[in-house]
Amino acid sequence: MSDNVHGLLGAYAVDAVTPAERAEFEAHLPACEECSLELGSLLETTAVLADAESTAPPAALRARVFEEIGRTAQLPPADGPAADAAPAPEPVAAAVVPIERARRRHLWPRLAVAAASVAVLAVAGVIGGGLVADRNAQLALEQDVMMVASAPDAHSMDLGLGSAHLVVSEKMASVVAMGDDCPSPDDGMEYQLWVVMADGSKHAGPTFMPDSDGSFVTMLDMEMNGVVAFAVTEEPHGGSAQPTSEEIAVVEL
Amino acid sequence: MSTDGRARPLRAVPADGDAARRPGARPSPHRDADELADLLVRAGRGDTAAFELLYNRLAGSVHGLAVRIVRDPQIAEDVAQEALVEVWRQAARFRPEQGSARSWVLTIAHRRAVDRVRTEQAHSNRLVAHGARHSASVEDQDTVVDTMHAEWQAARVRQGLEVLTPLQREALELTYYKGYTNRQLAESLGIPLGTAKARIRDAVIRLRDAWEVTA
Repeated sequence: MSDNVHGLLGAYAVDAVTPAERAEFEAHLPACEECSLELGSLLETTAVLADAESTAPPAALRARVFEEIGRTAQLPPADGPAADAAPAPEPVAAAVVPIERARRRHLWPRLAVAAASVAVLAVAGVIGGGLVADRNAQLALEQDVMMVASAPDAHSMDLGLGSAHLVVSEKMASVVAMGDDCPSPDDGMEYQLWVVMADGSKHAGPTFMPDSDGSFVTMLDMEMNGVVAFAVTEEPHGGSAQPTSEEIAVVEL
Repeated sequence: MSTDGRARPLRAVPADGDAARRPGARPSPHRDADELADLLVRAGRGDTAAFELLYNRLAGSVHGLAVRIVRDPQIAEDVAQEALVEVWRQAARFRPEQGSARSWVLTIAHRRAVDRVRTEQAHSNRLVAHGARHSASVEDQDTVVDTMHAEWQAARVRQGLEVLTPLQREALELTYYKGYTNRQLAESLGIPLGTAKARIRDAVIRLRDAWEVTA
């Protein structure tokens, strides 16, 4: 599920993950400063929830614990640099990222904090292409897309990239963009979806790349309140925090 | 070990909710965090005295969290013991620059509790003690353990949960407090997996912003 690994951040913070997902997210963490930073604040938050439960433990617990630690060897310190917890880069620097990571990079962690009115989680992927190596991730995305597309209030609108269209469901709080004859973006660029609010502000959605056949699917989970349109631009790999090029498609709600 | 604790009087408990509004009741977060980090680092070098001071400060939360999640008092005590021993075992791996000692310890505790709930579910012999929060009979309670922090935090949590939408509260309840995985949450609510993940995340972020928590 490597393309969706960012999406595990919240679930990881509350331990709502399977052992496999936990391992996957922890493997991802050192390479992603956004997730590392965000995770820190989320864990401080869940610590508040834990503290609120505080009760005086039975006195016997102390004896048991100290008896046990008396015969428990301690692990030595972990090797390796702690450089993973590097300070936050400025959001504007986000457009320049190494190519290897760019693919998987979405800008939502900071975005959702900045924009109280649109809580956006991008779950981007490309079905049928080589980008999603993991079959399970494909299946999960396909399943999610199907559920949105089959929602009673789902409606479909032309997106303007070949015959690509957007499917919007308020009930599912989801937007799906998909197409099967989408032209390729310029070299070094990929498409990015934007959420346009009534006040004209634009919020970064997922990036997506059609495969060699022109197929793509991407999905966005969000509340629709105040959203007036969706737009697509071409952005450098990894996407941008704000559009850096002309909109090539706009769908007004 | 510290049987002398029993000689200490129980602390007066402020009236419900007042603690959050009285400025003097608010613990100094920075001093608290620095002290705990120092204790945990020392514990990591094998300092059992430091570990005991750490125990006094955090065992109440570790235990209370275990009780809230696994419900059964006996299992909760086992979970708390395992978690606290795990803290001792891994203490040298704690990196103060990556987060607070409090969240590091409580993350271990939460994970243990949730793992236990999932195992218990697998055994399908989970004991249910709905509602009532466990409390040991007064004479068995470890009064050395500091639970003062809890009163302020509990009021803060009550207020914080009010800013969540009902759906976000539900997501948090089922995951953080009941041990559902994101997939189980999606399945039990009949929502797309992406929506479930987003809802969990939005809930925690909203709490964080309401409480102005920083890493």
